[in-house]
Amino acid sequence: MTIEEFTTEFESIRPQLKSFVLRMTASVQDTEDVIQDVWIKATNSLTTFRADSSLKTWVFSIAGNLVIDMLRKQKRWPEEVTDICKEAAMQNPAHFQEAMAIVQTSEYAKFEIKEHIAFCFLCIAKSLPIEQHLCLLLKEIHDFKIKEIAVILKTTAPLVKYHLHTGRQKMIELFHGRCALINKEGVCHQCTEINGIFNPGQSAEEAKQKLKMVKESEKGDKQHLFDLRMEVLQEIDPFSSSAHELQLHHLEHNRRVMNKYLENNSE
Amino acid sequence: MRSLIIPIFIMTVSTVKAQHGKAVTEKKTFSRTTAITQVIHADPSIVWSLLTNANDFARWNSTVVSIVGEIKQGNKIELVSSLDSTRTFKLKILEFQPNEKLVWGDALGKRIYTLTNQGKNTLFTMSERIGGPMFPLFAGKIPSFDASFQQFTNDLKAEAETIAQTK
Repeated sequence: MTIEEFTTEFESIRPQLKSFVLRMTASVQDTEDVIQDVWIKATNSLTTFRADSSLKTWVFSIAGNLVIDMLRKQKRWPEEVTDICKEAAMQNPAHFQEAMAIVQTSEYAKFEIKEHIAFCFLCIAKSLPIEQHLCLLLKEIHDFKIKEIAVILKTTAPLVKYHLHTGRQKMIELFHGRCALINKEGVCHQCTEINGIFNPGQSAEEAKQKLKMVKESEKGDKQHLFDLRMEVLQEIDPFSSSAHELQLHHLEHNRRVMNKYLENNSE
Repeated sequence: MRSLIIPIFIMTVSTVKAQHGKAVTEKKTFSRTTAITQVIHADPSIVWSLLTNANDFARWNSTVVSIVGEIKQGNKIELVSSLDSTRTFKLKILEFQPNEKLVWGDALGKRIYTLTNQGKNTLFTMSERIGGPMFPLFAGKIPSFDASFQQFTNDLKAEAETIAQTK
C-alpha cells in the first residue's frame, strides 16, 4: 500500500477513530495527539501491514495501544462522576455563562436529551477498567467483531468476551440504579434538567417520550434498554453532532473537575 | 507445643473424591473437607478471570457478599460469605497459577480451585479443608458447605457459559 492509498483510507476512518479516542480519553487535546501519533506510527510501519486484518482494525490497534499506554498512567473516574461535576458546575457561574454564549453563537449547540445520554455514558464509562471500556466501545459503538477486538487488544477472543460482558453488566447496573429515564426510582435527572436550561420552551416529558429507550423502559428489560442506549451513542458523534460544541465545552469542564478531584483524592 | 501440632494437621492431604456438580464432604476427627467438580463449557481464561476479579465477584456469585483486595499471589483479601455475612474472613492468596490453580486460606483452612483445560471446556474443581487440633471443639458450630459449594459452582458455570456464548 502506498502512502497516498493509506492517506485516503485513513481519512475515511479518522472520524470514527477520533470519536473512539475521545470516548476513551475525554480530552480533545489528547485525542488530537493520539490521532497524530497513530498517523506517524502507521505511516512509519506501513510496510509491516500484511492485510491479515482490515486496515481499519490495524489502525484501531495502533490507537488502542496508544490509549492504553496513556490511560494506564491515569486514574479511573469515579462512578459518581456526573454528580461531582454537577456540584462543581453549580458553583461555577462562569461555566454556564460560557455555555450560554456557545448556544447563542454556535450552530452546533442545539441541545437534545440524546446528546446528554451520549455525554453521560462517555463520562461514566471512564469508571470502567481500561480493557472493559475498550471492548465495550469497540463492540457496541464501532461494531468490531470479537476476533477483531482480540487483534486490536492483542489478546484472546475468550478474554474479549469476558471484558465485554463484565463491562456491559457493570454499566447496565449503574444506569439502572441511576438513570431516571429508564427507572422511576433512578436518582439522576441531569439530562432533563439541562434540557430545561437550553430548551426552556420545551416540555421535558414530550422530549423524553421521543426516545425509544424511554418508551420501552416500562418493559424493564435491562439488556434491551442498554442496547437502545448504545443505539443513541452510535447516532451521536461527539465531534460532529448538532450540539457538539456545547458538549465538548461541557466535557472539558468535567475533565478539569475530575483531574482536580483525583488529585485531591489520591492516596 | 501448639505451633508444632498445627502444621501437622494442615499438611494432611485431602482424599475426598469430588463428584460432578455435587458437593461431597468428608469428616474426620480433626478436619473436614468439602469438594466439588464440574465441567464448564467455557475457556479456562474466562473461568480464571471470574475467580480472580475481586470487585466483580458478588455480581455473579450469590454465595459471596463481598471481596475486598486484589487476588494476586501473596496478597491478603477480606471475604464476606453469604453463609455468615456478619464475619469477615481475612485470607491470604497462597498460590496463583493463571488459568490453572488458585489457593487462598488462613490458619484454619485452605480453599483450592483447580482448572483443567479440556479443549473448549474447563474441568473445574473446588475443595476446602478446615481443621486443626482445636477443630473438634468448634466443628459443630461450622455450617455445612455443601449447599454453598453447589451454588458457587452453579453460579460460576452459568456466568462463564453465558460469557462464552457472547457473539
